[in-house]
Amino acid sequence: MDRILVLSVFVVASCGLAYELIAGALTSYLLGDSVLQFSSIIGCYLFAMGVGSHLSKYVKEERTLAAFVEIELLVGLIGGLSATVLFLVFAWASAPFRSVMYALVFCIGVLVGMEIPLVMRVMNARQAEFKELVSRVLTFDYLGALAVSLLFPLVLAPKLGMARTGLLFGVLNAAVAMWTCWAFRRDIPQLAGKLGRAGLVLLALLTAFAFSDKLTTLAEKGLFGDDVIHAETTRYQRMVVTRWHDDLRLYLNGNLQFSSRDEHRYHEALVHPVLASLPWAKRVLVLGGGDGLALREILRYPNIEHVTLVDLDPAMTTLFSTAPMLTALNKGSLKDKRATVVNADAAQWLEGNAETFDAIIIDFPDPTNFALGKLYSVPMYRLVQRHLAEHGLAVVQSTSPYFAPKSYWCIDATLREVGFNTWPYHAYVPSFGEWGFILFSKTPNYQPPEHYALPMRFLDADSTRLMFQFPADMRRVQVEPNRLNSQSLVHYFEEDWHNVLR
Amino acid sequence: MKRRDFLLLSAGMLAGCTLPPRLAIHRYAPGMAEGHALRDRKALPAPSAELHTDVLILGSGIAGLTAGWRLAQQGYQDFLLLSGPEPHGNASAAHLAGTDCPRGAHYLPIPGMAATQVRELLAEMGVIERGAGTPAPYYDERSLVHAPEERLYQNGQWHSGLLQPGNADENAQIKRFFALVDQLKQKRGSDGKRIFEIPSALASQDPQWRALDRITFDAWLDREGYTSPQLRWYLDYACRDDFGATSARTSAWAGLHYFCSRDGRAANADNDAVLTWPGGLNPLARYMQQRIGAARALPGLAARVSERQGKVETLVWQPQQQRMLRIHARRVICAMPLHVAIHVVEGMGALGFDAQTHMPPHAPWLVSNFAFDHFPSEAHGVPLAWDNVVYGSRSLGYVVATHQLIRAARPEQTVFTAYHALADNTPEAARRWLQQASDDDLYQLAATDLAAVYGWKLWQNAAQVEITVRGHAMASPTPGFLSNTGLAALRACDGPIQFAHSDLSGFSIFEEAAWWGDAAARRILRA
Ligand SMILES: Cc1cc2nc3c(=O)[nH]c(=O)nc-3n(C[C@H](O)[C@H](O)[C@H](O)COP(=O)(O)OP(=O)(O)OC[C@H]3O[C@@H](n4cnc5c(N)ncnc54)[C@H](O)[C@@H]3O)c2cc1C
Repeated sequence: MDRILVLSVFVVASCGLAYELIAGALTSYLLGDSVLQFSSIIGCYLFAMGVGSHLSKYVKEERTLAAFVEIELLVGLIGGLSATVLFLVFAWASAPFRSVMYALVFCIGVLVGMEIPLVMRVMNARQAEFKELVSRVLTFDYLGALAVSLLFPLVLAPKLGMARTGLLFGVLNAAVAMWTCWAFRRDIPQLAGKLGRAGLVLLALLTAFAFSDKLTTLAEKGLFGDDVIHAETTRYQRMVVTRWHDDLRLYLNGNLQFSSRDEHRYHEALVHPVLASLPWAKRVLVLGGGDGLALREILRYPNIEHVTLVDLDPAMTTLFSTAPMLTALNKGSLKDKRATVVNADAAQWLEGNAETFDAIIIDFPDPTNFALGKLYSVPMYRLVQRHLAEHGLAVVQSTSPYFAPKSYWCIDATLREVGFNTWPYHAYVPSFGEWGFILFSKTPNYQPPEHYALPMRFLDADSTRLMFQFPADMRRVQVEPNRLNSQSLVHYFEEDWHNVLR
Repeated sequence: MKRRDFLLLSAGMLAGCTLPPRLAIHRYAPGMAEGHALRDRKALPAPSAELHTDVLILGSGIAGLTAGWRLAQQGYQDFLLLSGPEPHGNASAAHLAGTDCPRGAHYLPIPGMAATQVRELLAEMGVIERGAGTPAPYYDERSLVHAPEERLYQNGQWHSGLLQPGNADENAQIKRFFALVDQLKQKRGSDGKRIFEIPSALASQDPQWRALDRITFDAWLDREGYTSPQLRWYLDYACRDDFGATSARTSAWAGLHYFCSRDGRAANADNDAVLTWPGGLNPLARYMQQRIGAARALPGLAARVSERQGKVETLVWQPQQQRMLRIHARRVICAMPLHVAIHVVEGMGALGFDAQTHMPPHAPWLVSNFAFDHFPSEAHGVPLAWDNVVYGSRSLGYVVATHQLIRAARPEQTVFTAYHALADNTPEAARRWLQQASDDDLYQLAATDLAAVYGWKLWQNAAQVEITVRGHAMASPTPGFLSNTGLAALRACDGPIQFAHSDLSGFSIFEEAAWWGDAAARRILRA
């Protein structure tokens, strides 16, 4: 009999440590700052265990075994579901996340704190020798902890993930409860009720285990509205790909990058006004554009011999060169023989490279912060200038001339400050609204194409002519170029969108 | 009990995977051993070689380098530049965590019209791209400080600018002070010169204004009714930052000079923009060094300088070769700090400089480069700026070495350079403290602001720290410094031995050092 109890101590100890580790790891994963998260969670947990040990003395002598079973079931249920619940809470609202997390940790701690004192009392009542008892319980307590401390980082977390690891330990707790019930069936009052509850808890946990993948996907769906087919936090950004029917979407840090429904409009407008005018072009540089969609358009030209694509995030270019649904969209452009993908910070790469290109296509994220603002600055465009052939053309995606007029015309002013000739244009992309581009070159004689040799879905002579005309509500506004000393663009961008969202 | 320990230990180990090993502290005191040996007049070995040169420059700080740059630029062939114990002096840099970082001077305000030689240097380097002779030249933006330039940590949040608005009365005082500054910037003395000018040698001699040098900045502020704690903290910070002395010890003339002398403008930046590089001002020093050429650079330090029959004989100790050189020169430019010069140059008294009465006080400084493995996470408010200052602190904040990089993503590693002038004590007392301070004591002081801002994250993210200890870092302009006759005598020296160092101005900024270096070179070129 005692052997069973001692074994259950082993399991109980492993579960106790596991919940603590899961809470710590999950929180540092979601919120960062691992030392803070771990130490505050351990602190909270240990304190709660102290409270639990203290509370255990109020359990009447004759009820110790029953109480132990009930507590096991509760720990199993709360602890087991804790990671899943935390995920869901985080997905819907991050504000109450911390409070929920500490509340959970505290509850689990209190319950776990009651376990060992209760087991000791049960065994004590069964006339085990005290010296022997303490030594055995504690030995197995430590062994259980040791097992989990090794299993968790090496096997469980990488193989099962947080949510399912949690559920697994919940199942173990519930199993201990059931087993104890069965082994001590003669000493436990209202046995049937307890067994029934244990069964329910087990069932709940196992169901959650089976559907836990769905649950986390559901959580992200709560964020994005559609099915999440890929989600990843890279060193640089949070990358989420969603699908709803035939519409694939990419979000970076929650901002929509493209929708497969209308991305052809964006990418045709980005690439072809440049390349259709450069039938002699052989070498192209793409800055940004790790989704390979602009690259797909570029590679349609047989005269293009080589394209270098520089994108910061290897996770992005890897995903878009391997995931079947995405390579179907970009036609495997990133794996094309004529393309070289470089993962580097654009300016750093330009600083350290001496090649020149006949065309340069720039597709950076919007200037939402000072670091990204630097990619649209005078010195940055000077670097671009050094890499652009004398008669080459370049284009930059330049936010919306309709929603963000100051930002748009600031980018134009910045290019002119560097000495470029510019040809601003815009196109309607339903999922973005009216979107802007600026074509620029060292020489002043560019004419928008009047026909396209390649078949286009969106562009033709008429739409191209309209693209280069700016109606009254998108006219040029007088703004300062984006100088690094003041970074006016970042301020304009903030102002512009503040006005739109008001 | 054991269960607790085990839980703590195992979880700690898991979190600990991201922890760097204990912070390594490296203490660096350039020139200290050499300087103290000269002071203690240790016996000198006999010279083992002789050298002849027309001009010998002693010291490779900004003053010495500017002199050499000017000579080289004018095609002057026959000169040598002796590095001294620390090449580039206060304008030197370290290389840590993949980036250059300053060991001293870190920024140069946009020079005004009077600082002609500084503009000339910048134009030659390409930092000024066009219009070097116009009031607002066009600068290479990479060297102008990038936004956000500075921020202030107050009440647990970061604010933009170094002076936060206070109550109505405080704001009125702040407005009044800066209105006065704007007015004084334009003001000219009875001799038609600007009252406050950089270089200070070109400032007005009008006694009415120079009388400000008789009282401390604090006394002047009290007299003028500037009582706002915000403003007073800021002004005291400015004095400690520029002069290494509190506003209670700084001359009122110098205190106002800091604000009223700067009138530089740029075509493509705000007027209060500054020039800076990852290694602080070191690229300027390196440029001049390279212009002078390796063939004219001589490692070693001057141990004795003596005038003999209208020529100068210098004993130079070269520690690497372990040898003493005797160098004969027609003329010597002594570009070392005066507290060293008095132990090296014979007959300074005869030149009019008495060490007892004329030596300007030299403030001790710590420049601490914290190498970070990761950028620490930031408190609310304005994001990480180039210059980051903590309100109410007795330290001077920190600058970020990688701020000027054009990058979409932050580099993995960076260096934060924390500045601290030991200004709360007399320089002598502060130096005695430094002499006996342990590495931990130094670290505590060096990390004052970083610890206040980042707390334990500092310990988590910082990998190592190099603390540069400068016992006699810079001359502080205390009341009366403008009428220091000893300095006036050295400034006028035009014989075989001349002097060139920021000490001659009585306060230390790049432009002053450059002015004296240039002046010495011009005297030689004129002769
Ligand atoms: C911490 C700190 C921060 C600063 N920040 C700024 C700033 O941001 N902007 C600014 O404009 N100014 C700043 N300054 C002021 C700085 O001192 C000046 O800009 C300038 O670098 C001073 O140059 P210098 O030539 O006068 O003197 P130093 O830099 O003192 O140069 C003296 C030279 O003499 C050499 N020497 C010493 N002994 C001997 C010997 N026996 N024989 C031969 N040579 C010898 C030394 O090796 C050194 O090369 C700062 C100073 C400090 C200490």
